[in-house]
Amino acid sequence: MPVVTQSEGMSRRELLSRSGVVATAVATVPLIGADALAEEAPGEVGVRMTVNGTVTPLTVDPRETLLDVLRERLRLTGTKKGCDRGQCGACTVHVDGERVVSCLTLVATLGGARVTTIEGLADGDRLHPLQQAFIDHDGFQCGFCTPGQIMSAAAVIEDGRARTDDQIREQMSGNICRCSAYPGIVAAVQQARKEMR
Amino acid sequence: MSVSPIGRETARVDGPLKVTGRAPYAADYHPDGLVYGHLILATVGRGTVREMDVSLAEAAPGVLAVYTPFRSIRIINDFAGRGAENYTVLQDTTVRFRGQIIGLVVADTLERARDAAALVTAEYTSTTPRTSLADSGPGTSPGAEQVLAPGVGSIDEALASAPVTITTTVSQHAQHHVAMEPHATTAVWQDDQLTLYCGSQGPQRHASAIAASLGVEPAKVRVIARYTGGGFGSRVPAWNEAKLCAAAARALGRPLKVVLTREQLFTTVGHRSAVRQTVRLGAESDGRLIALSHESDAEMPAVAGWPLMPAEGTSAVLYRTPNIRIDQRLVTLDTPSTWAMRGPGEAPGAFAVETAFDELATRTGIDPVELRLRNYAVREPLGGRRFSSKYLDQCYRVGAMRFGWDRRPRRPRSRTDGDWLIGMGMATAIYQGGRGSSSARVQFRDDGRVTVASGTSDIGTGAWTMLAVAGADALGLPVAAMVPELGDSALPPGGSAAVGSGATASTVPAVQAACRSAVTALIRAAVENPRSPFHGLDPADVRYRQGRVSSGRRSMGFRDLLRAMGVPDVQAVENTEGIDRDGPYAFQSFGAHFCEVRVHRLTGDIRVSRFTSVFDVGTVINARTARSQLIGGIIWGIGGALLESDPIEPDGRYAAANMADYLVPVNADVPAIDVHWLDHPDPQVSEVGARGLGELGNVGSAAAVGNAVFNATGIRVRDLPITLDKLL
Ligand code: FES
Ligand code: FES
Repeated sequence: MPVVTQSEGMSRRELLSRSGVVATAVATVPLIGADALAEEAPGEVGVRMTVNGTVTPLTVDPRETLLDVLRERLRLTGTKKGCDRGQCGACTVHVDGERVVSCLTLVATLGGARVTTIEGLADGDRLHPLQQAFIDHDGFQCGFCTPGQIMSAAAVIEDGRARTDDQIREQMSGNICRCSAYPGIVAAVQQARKEMR
Repeated sequence: MSVSPIGRETARVDGPLKVTGRAPYAADYHPDGLVYGHLILATVGRGTVREMDVSLAEAAPGVLAVYTPFRSIRIINDFAGRGAENYTVLQDTTVRFRGQIIGLVVADTLERARDAAALVTAEYTSTTPRTSLADSGPGTSPGAEQVLAPGVGSIDEALASAPVTITTTVSQHAQHHVAMEPHATTAVWQDDQLTLYCGSQGPQRHASAIAASLGVEPAKVRVIARYTGGGFGSRVPAWNEAKLCAAAARALGRPLKVVLTREQLFTTVGHRSAVRQTVRLGAESDGRLIALSHESDAEMPAVAGWPLMPAEGTSAVLYRTPNIRIDQRLVTLDTPSTWAMRGPGEAPGAFAVETAFDELATRTGIDPVELRLRNYAVREPLGGRRFSSKYLDQCYRVGAMRFGWDRRPRRPRSRTDGDWLIGMGMATAIYQGGRGSSSARVQFRDDGRVTVASGTSDIGTGAWTMLAVAGADALGLPVAAMVPELGDSALPPGGSAAVGSGATASTVPAVQAACRSAVTALIRAAVENPRSPFHGLDPADVRYRQGRVSSGRRSMGFRDLLRAMGVPDVQAVENTEGIDRDGPYAFQSFGAHFCEVRVHRLTGDIRVSRFTSVFDVGTVINARTARSQLIGGIIWGIGGALLESDPIEPDGRYAAANMADYLVPVNADVPAIDVHWLDHPDPQVSEVGARGLGELGNVGSAAAVGNAVFNATGIRVRDLPITLDKLL
């Protein structure tokens, strides 16, 4: 398989300046801003949620959305912010098995919740059938909406409600793809649907 | 491996990273010590900021700095160096349009920066902005162009002499690129060296613009844009937010990330100008053109921007006519900067002329495909040059067959299916197809792989895979042996930006040239290096084929050869020239769109139910990504016809500046799309024969939808978008 990694062609200096960026184990990731927040104890909320199978205790500013916490604090940047208003679907993740737009989900409400992001979808290094299907059918171009599309599709397939192409189109219409890879997305969901049965 | 991957289905090499969320986009970087910026935009349409109260923001927790015109940070005007806007952000108190940047708040967390920005207040003196094309026009013309037949005094005279005349005026409001990735910049200074992570269609141009606005040597700025969440034109210039982010990071001595909110994007990173166009056709009763006039009025913001020229890429190059005149006027308005958006002039221009052609077909009773064939051009009607290669007639015929055009209802509003009216329409696609200069570096490596690098960008176009396919083809190696590199301004200078549908057509020749030179360099090393089994041979007796170097019975793969020589790699860099735009040939890509719509008789609801398009683009490099690009363009046409519109209010506020009100197509808006291309390499454009295709699908597709709606309903909607209220 061709390898295109973010460290291709990177200088040592650049690598040093970015150390920690690619960490994946939640427990080892420093929580940026945690110190500053500790000063402001009265406004904080303690939350313990499970993210991609790892129990993750957090102290959060009540304004923090699940999207921003995933991206800025847990460094799970696979989940994307396209609008921050619930209008585009780029930030779709699963909370307790249901798809949600993480930009409209406050972490303070997630005590005990089970959160799955694109980083937690595959089984180890093997791609999830949907991930492979998106590659096979070119269900993306720039790739920015793709994590949200895939998380949405996983929930749609799980639901069992989308069988025909038209049902898939309807169910996937909360996820905007400006590159307009829609026909490929429908084909990818169909392929994965059959494999996931 | 002997089968070339050119033209075959190659999966995106960046696919695995993108489907797992591991491809890093600009806002995904977290350098140590990162702080966050949030912009403040002006809330009046034109005027002066009298004062800003930043005291609450400064006192808010975690705030590190508040920059305004009154406590600014130095940024140098780089407009002359291809900037989009002619003013310099935060350097004066003038408000030139509503939504202009007037401040930046930096804090230790995203939430704190955003909330502190909301605490800043501004006092303005304001005047009424000019926002309406109709009220401020007609614009000034950079110069009409025309060709008149001998003895004809004017285009009006030619039109007046025609037995059949059509006058069509079409209009559309502003449209927005709405790339899914909001513009974001992460700026990291180390000593006096800046690394800027941002989306970009041309990282090298981007770096030089940023360097100019910071007053530093170009070599001091490195732009990294390996993954870019869509561009469509909006990521060609370096916009103010990137300059501000870089300057503030330098002033604060901290890495800084500024991500625009979706709403802010609608006024800060360019839009497609609103435009009104009038096309007049004069024809014989058998449909042959006698005269064509295409006039337009588009915005030219007072802050400057992209001039929308809808006729020069459409009417001026589309149909044979003895008399033609185009006049593309620009109206000065107090709107945010305009910028090229996919098929910048061609998409609106084709809507105008292809709608007019449909009206001419209706008036003369000639089939729309036949009408276009009767007016087929083998030379540019205005410029007079021959086309380098043109098979548009085949596109019409093959498309008509695939689509079942012969089943089109001849009379408008004559076919129904229950409460649904059914109609079919077609239109022509055309987009410039030349190639520009480019550069590439190819490197044989001792791990058995080959780096293929070019300072271009992949905004979703498939450029990563294009580099791998081009390298694999030129070297006779598997695609999987290629390691593409792009999206980094530190790559060899002269890379092609992803603009004008030209990156692939421009870059493949550069990769081929660099591959040839790398092979030459490998052979030279093989004969010169004392540890090489080919040492001392005449280079003319040494051959390279499919990764192996051989001479007589001696043969060795390049990996083993490099290892034997103790050399980690052998590389070559090549620059290739573009094609002279004023040369003897006109380079255009072509296509024919066929569309079926269903319109509900009672509600006016419009559904696009089928779409077939056939294209003539020369050689296709990667079938899979080419298809996606063409389909994407067609869907943009559906959006342009039915959804996308941002009217501006008299106070300068865009009425639909968010993704709930500015509608772009979603999955349920899009039917199965049948895309097909002819296989005619263009012998004039390059050895490989590839012209561009990234914007082509978006040209003419809106007209095909509109023409189908007319066929279904008998109603001609000339003000885009075609919404259900206009059909009731
Ligand atoms: S970012 Fe959450 S829906 Fe757009
Ligand atoms: S792949 Fe670019 S937005 Fe969907």
